[in-house]
Amino acid sequence: MAAENEEPACRRWPHRIYGVGEEPDPRFTLANERTFLAWIRTALALMAAGVGVEALNAAMSPGPDPLRTSLAVLLLLAGVVCSVAAFGRWMTMERALRTKAPLPPPKLAPVLGFGLGVVGVAATVLLLVNGF
Amino acid sequence: MQVERTTLAWLRTGLTFVVGLMVLLRLLAHRSAVAAAVCAAVALPLAAVIAVASWRRHRQAERNLRAAKPLPDGVLQAAFTALALLAGAIGAVYVLLM
Repeated sequence: MAAENEEPACRRWPHRIYGVGEEPDPRFTLANERTFLAWIRTALALMAAGVGVEALNAAMSPGPDPLRTSLAVLLLLAGVVCSVAAFGRWMTMERALRTKAPLPPPKLAPVLGFGLGVVGVAATVLLLVNGF
Repeated sequence: MQVERTTLAWLRTGLTFVVGLMVLLRLLAHRSAVAAAVCAAVALPLAAVIAVASWRRHRQAERNLRAAKPLPDGVLQAAFTALALLAGAIGAVYVLLM
């Protein structure tokens, strides 16, 4: 019985998480998964915003526009950082749950909040510069 | 209920991916048909595999929870992250391709 339980545990990936601690309450694991998915969706929303900035403005005013392109690239980069951070955070949280350590506070959330504020200001400037 | 809610979150995220990728590829096709075809050939099969894997994960989670066995591991999380990075790359191709 013990061997039966241990063998699949060894095959679980990544080993960095499943090699330590013990199985937490399944509800916590599931909640952690949903939090990861919420972060991934946030990343997708950021990327969609980047592509949207480019697509809408290209339709309105054709031709190259460095300001517009840099805003789009900034949003895409934010999305990429956000998705990598989502996975990293999922790992950190799962490890903390397994070792019964305190859960670390979200580092990216305040950055994202302030960053989106900056993006909002940039989008407003872009709107004014392009004359609607 | 917890498993159900988590499965819905997986499916919702998967759906967002598929819809987002389709819109993005449609936009990209406007700028370069070749780039759109290449990106579609890479991204859409991956998205389909991930959709099937999400459903299988749900079945496994239900089964394991009943049998008091550990829940599924982190492979699908890594796959979603990879797909998000791919979507970001395709988005960058679109934005930078004038």
